[in-house]
Amino acid sequence: MDERDLESVIGRAQGHDAEALAEIHRLYAGRVFGLCKYMLDSRESAEDATSEVFLKLQRSIGTYDGSIPFPKWLLRVAGNQCIDALRRRKRGRQVIVEVEDITNVEAPSAELSPLGAAIKTEERAQVRDAIARLPVSYRVPLVLRYYSELSYDEIAQQLDLQRNHVATLIFRAKQELRRKLMQRSK
Amino acid sequence: MECYSEQTCAIFVDGELAADEAQHLRGHLATCQRCRKLVDALRAENRILGESLQELPQETSRPEAFSRWPSWVWGDLAVMGAVLALGSIVSVWIGELEIPGALEWLNPFTPGGLTSLMFDVSYYFTHGGAAMLTEYAAVVGGLFLFLLLGGGALLLGRRGRLPNTSLGLLIVLLTFSLPGFALEHRHGEFVTVAANETLDDTLLAAGNTVRVEGTVNGDVLAFGRTVEVHGTVKGDLVSFARSTVVSGTVEGSIFNFSRSLDVEGQLGHSIYGWMQSLRVDERGHVGDGILVGAGDVNQEGEVKRSVTIFAGSADVSGNIGRELTMTGGNLTLTNTARVGSNLTARVRHLKDVHIAEGATIAGKRDIQERVRKNYFARPGFYFYQALWLASAMAVGWLAVVLFPGFFAACTQAVGAGWRSLGIGVGVLAGVPVAVIVVAVTLVGLPLAFMLFAVYLAALYLAKIWVGAFLGRVLLKPSGTTKGDWLLGLLVGLLILTIVGFIPYLGGLVRFGVVCLGLGAFAWQLYQLSRPAVAA
Repeated sequence: MDERDLESVIGRAQGHDAEALAEIHRLYAGRVFGLCKYMLDSRESAEDATSEVFLKLQRSIGTYDGSIPFPKWLLRVAGNQCIDALRRRKRGRQVIVEVEDITNVEAPSAELSPLGAAIKTEERAQVRDAIARLPVSYRVPLVLRYYSELSYDEIAQQLDLQRNHVATLIFRAKQELRRKLMQRSK
Repeated sequence: MECYSEQTCAIFVDGELAADEAQHLRGHLATCQRCRKLVDALRAENRILGESLQELPQETSRPEAFSRWPSWVWGDLAVMGAVLALGSIVSVWIGELEIPGALEWLNPFTPGGLTSLMFDVSYYFTHGGAAMLTEYAAVVGGLFLFLLLGGGALLLGRRGRLPNTSLGLLIVLLTFSLPGFALEHRHGEFVTVAANETLDDTLLAAGNTVRVEGTVNGDVLAFGRTVEVHGTVKGDLVSFARSTVVSGTVEGSIFNFSRSLDVEGQLGHSIYGWMQSLRVDERGHVGDGILVGAGDVNQEGEVKRSVTIFAGSADVSGNIGRELTMTGGNLTLTNTARVGSNLTARVRHLKDVHIAEGATIAGKRDIQERVRKNYFARPGFYFYQALWLASAMAVGWLAVVLFPGFFAACTQAVGAGWRSLGIGVGVLAGVPVAVIVVAVTLVGLPLAFMLFAVYLAALYLAKIWVGAFLGRVLLKPSGTTKGDWLLGLLVGLLILTIVGFIPYLGGLVRFGVVCLGLGAFAWQLYQLSRPAVAA
């Protein structure tokens, strides 16, 4: 679907056209579900969150103003939905908490980084598996950054954190990921 | 110049370093091979990370192609197998029984069957059958749902697993019920237990005409156009037929789902059931009581205990040992009628009650019009409504807690309007027919009961989906927490309940609500059985 088609679909959806909403669902349910699955780590919760996102979309799509690409906007909405779900799960307590310092992990080198070396499909599956096993405080910012492609500022806003804190969490998430992958390859 | 930390390099690679600092770092990279290698490695890492993450959606958005392949395939194959097995059993039975004649009046694909069915359905609805059924569903369906949801929650401890499990349970039950009953089983155009014949087992009979002239020492389960008992049945008689006649003796009770039931003989216990017409002949004797919903009731014989009827019209000229309780249209007691205790009648108009002077009523006469203002004047009415609302809210709450996604999806499916309405009408009319057809096959009997229970539960749930939908449409809550859903449900149910009491329109609305909700539920169950991201 080219951009103009998408724009027209969004326009119709904003006018509460059921078919247009269904089309948006068809186009993006997979991506939204992927994000939810990473953030919420259970299939059922992810399905629930996905349907919530599209349920809410009927009304919230009216607030989309075209200033950012639609998929990115939708993923931001989905991210918020997941964060809400995580907050509910934690009964309102802080979702992202400080995690103790990680033991020093060596800086990656082009040849040696287990992450950089994961090129084959099955190795990528291992990467995904390792991401899924990250603590939520690492996993959520990491996924928002590299799946939803949000900026540090946007992530900070979504998670109600300082920008520096987000940078640290993403950095540590990658370190932890390397450590997990290294353990596996040993 | 000193090298940058790994974290700073990582932030740089993410494009998130402040412009001036990034400028410095670029300058440093031109001269420092170590940092350049680090930045390259971090870039490669980011790329792999992005690519690894992006691969998942395709995989999970089409679970039928990848991750859940085996489970759904096996699930669908199992269901298909079960349906095929059931279908072949039904067709073999029907073929073997040469039953089309017997079931013609049920078969919507023949002109005769269609008119008969339409007549039955229209009669049923014009006589308040739908209201009675939903009332019944409100009690039985609610109970069943509590058991189902509560049991499901306890057993599974996980959400969203119920449909597969209940399906599995159904198949297991079906499988186990195959060799189940040990009983005498007869079928054919005419099924007869001859006058000099005695059967010691329970008899399952299916045929155009089922006639018992001899003695059956067990129960009789009969399906046919005409079921006649001229001999003796020591147990109960369960009859699904166009017309059922008992001129002999049934020592147990009669459970009857026929168009007409005539009792001309002796009955040891009671009559229960739904029928278009019930007649207890002057020779007829009912050892216990009568509890039926019927179009017309003629009581000319002797009933030892109480009679409770929901009927369009009731004529009593016989003896009733205890109370007579009647809810419906016309009530006539002739000169010869005798009621051993109280007479309670709730009718549309008092002028429709005719009690002859010679009629004897030993107890109190309590005859009232079932006018709507009476509803609202009685405190019991409000209590009942509050109780109903509370139980509906409790069921709604359980559904939201256990299956939030399904709840939301069902509610949303109500919004599909005509689709839901159409499916709902089909399900509402089709399931009872399916239940009877399934029940005709012996193996299908437990399945038929389960199907009927699910049907009642679905009728009960219909109002909940529509209520929740209405609430959401009206309130437009910003959130989708449980609280929002439940508030919406409460508002929706309140409105539906109130609208339901508007004369004429209310009945139509209630019927529409049942169809809409039923359709949405059926559609969603269908969606659930298909592998897709819940929508």
